[in-house]
Amino acid sequence: MFDEKELILEAKHVTRRFPAPNHRLLTACNDINLKLYKGKTLGLVGESGCGKSTFMRFLVSLDTPSEGEILFHGKDITKMKGEELRLNRQKIQMVFQDPSGSFNPKMKIRDIICEPLMNFGRIKKSEKDQAARKYLELVDLPGEFADRYPHHMSGGQRQRIAIARAIVLEPEIVVMDEATCALDVSVQKTIIELIVRLQKEKDIAIGFITHDLGLIQSFAHQIAVMYLGNLVEVLPAERLEGAVHPYTKALISAVFDIHMNFSRKIERIESEPPSPLDVPEGCPFQNRCEHCMEICRRVRPALKELAPEHKVACHIYE
Amino acid sequence: MLELNNVTISYTNQPAVCNFHLTLGQGEICSIVGESGSGKTTVVRAILGLLSGGGQVTEGEIRFEGKPLLSNTKEEWRKLRGTDISMIFQDSGAMTNQTRTIGKQFVEYIRTHERISRKDAWDKGVYMLERMCLPNGDNIMKSYPFQLSGGMRQRVGIAMSMTFRPKLLLADEPTSALDVTTQAQIVRQMMELRNEYKTSMLVVTHNLGVAAYMSDQIVVMKNGKIVDAGSRDDILYRSESEYTRNLLNAVPSLGGVRYV
Repeated sequence: MFDEKELILEAKHVTRRFPAPNHRLLTACNDINLKLYKGKTLGLVGESGCGKSTFMRFLVSLDTPSEGEILFHGKDITKMKGEELRLNRQKIQMVFQDPSGSFNPKMKIRDIICEPLMNFGRIKKSEKDQAARKYLELVDLPGEFADRYPHHMSGGQRQRIAIARAIVLEPEIVVMDEATCALDVSVQKTIIELIVRLQKEKDIAIGFITHDLGLIQSFAHQIAVMYLGNLVEVLPAERLEGAVHPYTKALISAVFDIHMNFSRKIERIESEPPSPLDVPEGCPFQNRCEHCMEICRRVRPALKELAPEHKVACHIYE
Repeated sequence: MLELNNVTISYTNQPAVCNFHLTLGQGEICSIVGESGSGKTTVVRAILGLLSGGGQVTEGEIRFEGKPLLSNTKEEWRKLRGTDISMIFQDSGAMTNQTRTIGKQFVEYIRTHERISRKDAWDKGVYMLERMCLPNGDNIMKSYPFQLSGGMRQRVGIAMSMTFRPKLLLADEPTSALDVTTQAQIVRQMMELRNEYKTSMLVVTHNLGVAAYMSDQIVVMKNGKIVDAGSRDDILYRSESEYTRNLLNAVPSLGGVRYV
């Protein structure tokens, strides 16, 4: 399913440590290896504080990893500087969770959509109106919206504008950080349909952060599950039911579904993740895992290939 | 036990909720679902007499155990709130005072409603926290709200609201700020409390999955009006309303529609 020729971006051994009080280090991402393919969606799933946003911020060069490299068409973007970095930003764009927070409230929609184009000298001032209309129509909004301000629009419409702004530069990768979780389910559905349509038309690779497994499995090609800064499982989305890691299984059983069996007791995983400041030695999931063995307390499991395109980090499957 | 008859609620003469009906029996859980701005929260706040921004019930009546609530005096409200009817909010951390420890606030709350010594109130607080699966309740009583995680704060909020075994618990988006795993824990705990204390619950949520799992009844709201109401199975499987069906179809589910 994933053709190595279609590989656009590859993260190799990416680690990020933040300084914390008392000379301690907080490891937000630990040795992450992921690949993004042309026209495919990578879903990154995990609880809050597991480092998924930290990782995606590397891709858009908002932050740089402490170790490791991110190869975009074979070039390491973490080492880029100055004009090269600026030009590279056209290729990788981002959509944020809160659309109202990511716009300047005093700019009209026309200026918001055309700002990236103007910055890179793609269009002249006189062409702005036309470009804004074109992209508004692309995201199924009427062209007249160009004269509005962000506060005149609903959350779903604003998210469409944010998507339009992200794709005006025809990027190869769009990173979406919980792009739909502030929206109602009915609006969420239309936004997902829009994203999928645009992806097909423009062959964009998407990195989608979410904690809703039900949502991500409906449109992702590949799902990566993170726990406390570590990748615990990577698998193709259509084989999500075949997930084997205890944490992934716990996440799946925590999903409330309208088609579920309501008399089923909720399997809950006890307690909460430990603070990322003191991740236990050995497997990070050990204190919440019901299959915890002696070896889990000593050795951290490595990500191993279980089946083609299915990797898991768990001692049970070694 | 709780009855809302033909209730209309307006903010400065603009009706926000029109002709709302609801009957809730003892130990029943009812969910109000709908999109944002459909008036779900307004209904819940009206029951507790806590409408903000000049909101008023302009028509209809709200009865709790046969007694009309709308004619309550301040003193009657004080007796009712926090004991017979209590409420949990989306983020219980925002409800607490950030500069005082959980314990101080818990003790103050208990002593407002009950003649009891500080020591006994503290022990009662610890007991309630431990009932909510918060290990080491004593430690939690000594911490400040910002030192706790979102899930823990929500559990503190539920522990507080259940202290006096209320007959009715109002929950406004109790799980939507939480992670999926924590959400599952909280939902399960609320169900256990219902079975144990026979508390009726009115839950506002936009998560249809949670609503479907918890509720006996579901009310679907749109633009301040009820579009659909009935038992869970009626709404999920036999709904005649197109709006409800569209809403249900939009819920992403595991093993459901795939777009790619």
